Amino acid sequence: MSLFFRKRKKHGPAGVRSENSPGNSKHSYQSLTFSPDIDENMRLLRECFENCSDVVFREFLFAQREQIKLVLVYIDGISSKVQISEQIMRALSLEVPAATDNTVINKTNALHYVKMRGLCIHQVGETEKLQEAVEAILSGDSVLLVDGHATAVINGSRGWEARSVEESKTEIVVRGPREAFVETLRVNTSLLRRKIKSKDLKIESLTLGEVTNTDIAVAYIRGIVNEGLVAEVKKRLAGIKIDGILESGYIEELIRDHPLSMFPTVAHTDRPDRVAANLLEGRVAVFVDGTPIVLTVPHFFIEALQAPEDYYEHYFFTTFVRLLRIGSLLIALTLPSLYVAIISFHQEMLPTPLLLSIAAQREAVPFPVFIEALLMEIAFEIIREAGIRLPRQVGQAVSIVAALIIGQSLVQAGLVAGATIIVVALTAMASFVVYYSGSLAFRLLRFPLMFLAASFGLFGLIAGLIVIVAHMTSLRSFGVPYLAPVGPLIPEDLKDSFVRMPWWAMGKRPYLLGQNNPVREASGMESGPPGTTAPKDGESNAGRGQN
Amino acid sequence: MLEGGKINAWQAVFLNVIMVSATALLGAPAIMASQAGHDAWMSALLATTLGLPIAWITIKLGSLYPGQTLIQYLERILGRWPGKALGLLYLLYFTHITSLMVMEYGSFLVDVFLIGTPITAIVLISITISAYILKLGLEVLARTNQFFFPWILVSLVITFLLVIPEMDLTRLQPVLETGPAEIFKGSLAPLAWHGEIIAFAMIIPFLTKPGQAGKIVALTFIFLGLIFFLLVAIGLTVFGPGLANMNYPILNVARVISLATFFERPEPLIVAVWVTGGLIKVSFFYYIIVLGSAQLLRLKSYRPLVLPVGAILAALSITVSASTLAMSDFIAHYWPFYALFTFEFGFPAALLAIALIRNRGIKGQ
Amino acid sequence: MMKKLVCLLLILGLTVPLEGCWSRREINELAIVLAAGVDSAPDGEILLTVQIARPSSFGGGESGRSGVAGPQQNNLWVISQAGETVYDAQRRLETKVSRNLYWGHTVILVFGEQIARQGIRKAFNFFTRSPGARETIWVLVARGDAKEVLNSHSQLETTSAQGIGAMIRAGVGIPVMLKDLSLMLAGKGINPVLPRVELTASGTPQGPGMKENIPEAENEPDHGTQTHAEMTITGAGVFNDERLVGWLDMMETSGLLWLAGRMKKAEITFPSPNEPGKDFSACIYRSITKIEPFYDGQNIWFDIKMRMDAELWEEQSLEKITEPRIFTAMEESLTRRVEQISRAVLEKAQQDYEVDIFGFGDVWHRKYPRQWPALKDRWNEEFANADVYISVQVHIRRTGLTTNRVSRED
Repeated sequence: MSLFFRKRKKHGPAGVRSENSPGNSKHSYQSLTFSPDIDENMRLLRECFENCSDVVFREFLFAQREQIKLVLVYIDGISSKVQISEQIMRALSLEVPAATDNTVINKTNALHYVKMRGLCIHQVGETEKLQEAVEAILSGDSVLLVDGHATAVINGSRGWEARSVEESKTEIVVRGPREAFVETLRVNTSLLRRKIKSKDLKIESLTLGEVTNTDIAVAYIRGIVNEGLVAEVKKRLAGIKIDGILESGYIEELIRDHPLSMFPTVAHTDRPDRVAANLLEGRVAVFVDGTPIVLTVPHFFIEALQAPEDYYEHYFFTTFVRLLRIGSLLIALTLPSLYVAIISFHQEMLPTPLLLSIAAQREAVPFPVFIEALLMEIAFEIIREAGIRLPRQVGQAVSIVAALIIGQSLVQAGLVAGATIIVVALTAMASFVVYYSGSLAFRLLRFPLMFLAASFGLFGLIAGLIVIVAHMTSLRSFGVPYLAPVGPLIPEDLKDSFVRMPWWAMGKRPYLLGQNNPVREASGMESGPPGTTAPKDGESNAGRGQN
Repeated sequence: MLEGGKINAWQAVFLNVIMVSATALLGAPAIMASQAGHDAWMSALLATTLGLPIAWITIKLGSLYPGQTLIQYLERILGRWPGKALGLLYLLYFTHITSLMVMEYGSFLVDVFLIGTPITAIVLISITISAYILKLGLEVLARTNQFFFPWILVSLVITFLLVIPEMDLTRLQPVLETGPAEIFKGSLAPLAWHGEIIAFAMIIPFLTKPGQAGKIVALTFIFLGLIFFLLVAIGLTVFGPGLANMNYPILNVARVISLATFFERPEPLIVAVWVTGGLIKVSFFYYIIVLGSAQLLRLKSYRPLVLPVGAILAALSITVSASTLAMSDFIAHYWPFYALFTFEFGFPAALLAIALIRNRGIKGQ
Repeated sequence: MMKKLVCLLLILGLTVPLEGCWSRREINELAIVLAAGVDSAPDGEILLTVQIARPSSFGGGESGRSGVAGPQQNNLWVISQAGETVYDAQRRLETKVSRNLYWGHTVILVFGEQIARQGIRKAFNFFTRSPGARETIWVLVARGDAKEVLNSHSQLETTSAQGIGAMIRAGVGIPVMLKDLSLMLAGKGINPVLPRVELTASGTPQGPGMKENIPEAENEPDHGTQTHAEMTITGAGVFNDERLVGWLDMMETSGLLWLAGRMKKAEITFPSPNEPGKDFSACIYRSITKIEPFYDGQNIWFDIKMRMDAELWEEQSLEKITEPRIFTAMEESLTRRVEQISRAVLEKAQQDYEVDIFGFGDVWHRKYPRQWPALKDRWNEEFANADVYISVQVHIRRTGLTTNRVSRED
């Protein structure tokens, strides 16, 4: 027993690296700067990029008379060759300044002319630090060294092969924009900018990941969002010290309020319209370069039930669909447990003919209901996971195999009762109605609930539900209660939870997010035939008298 | 600060209603009917009216000592050691009735649905779940209750509606056949239930607006009056005075539901929702015991006490009563006097008197 | 800390299912009892008969439908066992029945005639006290032994118990649930009346292999079964408190229900006023009964006003019912017939059996609560001596699709 409770040896504080890790070399070159001698600079850079075969050092000359040596350093593949050729090299070789005002370009003013008059590229910067230059090169910019100057010019010449903007693969809508984010950060922020054309949309950048140096962008709308929230988000992001950030999921796990809970308290999406809507309600978005998935905080549980399409289609229909989603969520969570509980404990709830029919089916089956349901559920989870990973060509055949063989034959062989297959299939279908990530926790939770239902019937199920609800109401997402507007009951916000009230009725932002700026819509927006609505400010009564 | 959570007015109302009525659902109608026969519905209304003074005393004490719970201002009123002694007595009383409650619900489940399961298992599971909710805090308890309370109400209302075909109002006649003495006797037990509102004194400081305590209690009593009345009235119209001999009358009422030969015998589903109420009531009382003990002992946080108190409650629940008959006998005949004369009415009235005198003395100076 | 928590959870989590989940009962561990019957056995014992469903012959889904050609299986198992009490008999049954008896779906409870005459209280407390059996079980009394009646099958329903249940729900006979029986026995102002059930010859048999339980069936192995025996409701049994004292036939049962104000729907045939030998048939679909008790310190009398609405369903004569004179005569004939039936049953109750089966005592109690305690113990005598004045008014409101006979010559 003492083995269990012996404390594990503590590791050293996180972040301490051994001598040979790549991060260490930062110490040696963090403080280095360029010198006027171009060969020395080149040597420094070559040393940094030792054994990197894709780093190109292009030497060329500038200024016809003085023949000043210039060296352009870039990485082949992430720098746009077109820009480099056209806008840097060709522009510099034209020597425009000399032609127009007869000033002689010499070593002292070469940098000024290169930067301000020579280069035709859209974005330039300069630096004297080696580290910044290296980081620039690694990001795809090119660095221009000028002989005789200790300053390097950074040209914005990024360009690489990337996926084009396509339809979202995970969040599909019938009505609404089809664009989805891609892996390039700038493209993503541009998609967002196109949706929110406001100067108050602030996009701040930072870099995370000791080795990967991934670009992160934090977006929010000043004036709507709670400033404390923004500060908290930035603080938590700044506290992340990890080797690499490959996907937003890394960040998600590192900034959550409740690291141990299985419910996601950070929302993620790959649709720009969803991110824009969230920002308009007072949330903060986090973009991560290299992944199309964008995080938004704070996250309410109810968001898993909301799809972007809900706001575009007619509200009666979407209210119905939302209620259907809630029903599906409950079914996905509790149907197998209900089935097990009723068949094992509460047989009186079934109508007599149904009971006799199920009893007849179960005569042939060797297992108790609980084992049978458990096996079928696990089998279905296997099929589902396999379905995600299957190569496309094999997919069709395998799903036929799964459905026919497992479903049909098991029943005929008498290993599983028909009713159980129906229950498992319904549960599976129900769990697809809600967006994938929202339902993950519930998919997992139905197994403990099945255990409880098999032990104590409906009361075990209820006890399990109480624990789940208690847990969910205790969760907070960046300080905001997770189950609002149901947990702490906020009646105004219920307009957009299980139902969706028409747009003219949802005049205020969600209470807990939008206290800075609560009103998002003028009141009295309900429309009607001409003559029935009161004239709004500035509207004239022209045309009404003719009714 | 022992408890940082805040609950708003509606959460408090829901919590109070569940706190009183969750176990009344089980046995109260039978107790009332055994004394007052088919006039027991009048006992219910009488009990609610008679309970108002207790509620008033609770609020008045709370307003005299804002920001303090019952255990804390006991010391202010009576002095340090007598106050602590009375506080300890209150905690013991709460522990006693909480273990009774757990046993009531455990017996109910085991008698009717889970025949064969040892009560110990049910008790352990209930206490474990309550302990978990406590660990999360008062706010979580209030919110969880807010989540389930509407469903409890809905299932009660549905039960009542579906049972209408079996109701026969003539079973309530002749009215006032049993004398007023019996009606009064029948109202003592539900009065003791209403008197459990004294436990509200432990959470008044945690309201977002403590000044609303009066309105909260008024609303609570409206709900309670309605619930108690309906419970007895419906039971009587379906079963007549034979209600008095049933252990769990409302269960029998639910069992009679039959709708189009399809929705028959739905009572596990309906009852399961009520069991939620029972669990929340146990959690609530468990919470005030833990909180009170922490305040009595001047601890910084009540967390360390959760498990020990839970263990005591679990052990007590299993041993508190020799049989279901003994337990219902105790609740019907002894508990009203035990509770009303002392902890629910007697002590609070005396405390209020002392407090008012003291305050007047201070103001006079 | 985390480790301790995980260990604790593991221990809790594993022991719970390992214990075997104490009160879980698989469906195929249950013997589903659909009907129960109680008879008296020699030595003062009780004979419990149960009708248990045999699921394998119900054919749910694939397994049942495949083989059909062979002789029809009996989908019930009827078995009896004697014991000192009902629960004792059940325990002894468990030595024969391989599964747990499950009372949750029991539809009917039948008392045998003999035990009904001795007193039914000793026979049914098990059903009210046990949480498995339900208060909504329909209660019946058999002519003869309950054991014989339960040993039957139904042509249209899957089991005879469900057949009877369906019939009672449809309004045949007088519907009495177990809880109603308890109520009737508990009060002194009313005495129980239970529907009577017996097996009668009812048409062609079900299949070559099925045996029937009445003498007319003539279950010869070479001839095969001649007639089918179906459980039939043939009237009602009158009880004085807990003892059976007599019978009512179907018409008298209708009269009883009218007088007590509990009627749902009834068929009644009345003679034509103008053409003797020909009858009309009508369906009474609404009846309102007002019972007014009176007491002057010595005598008790009741004033009963019945108002009914009927619909004409069949006419055997050729009368022109659109003529107001004939129509009124018809209504009067109908009224007379209703009154006749009501008086017949009233007389039977007052004179032959001397039992208040209508609940007049309860009505009297409600009006005279102070005088009731003195009279309640001998209420049946008072009832037998009370005068009952019946006034009936029946209106024919509807006549179906036609008014006069379409085949009438003009």
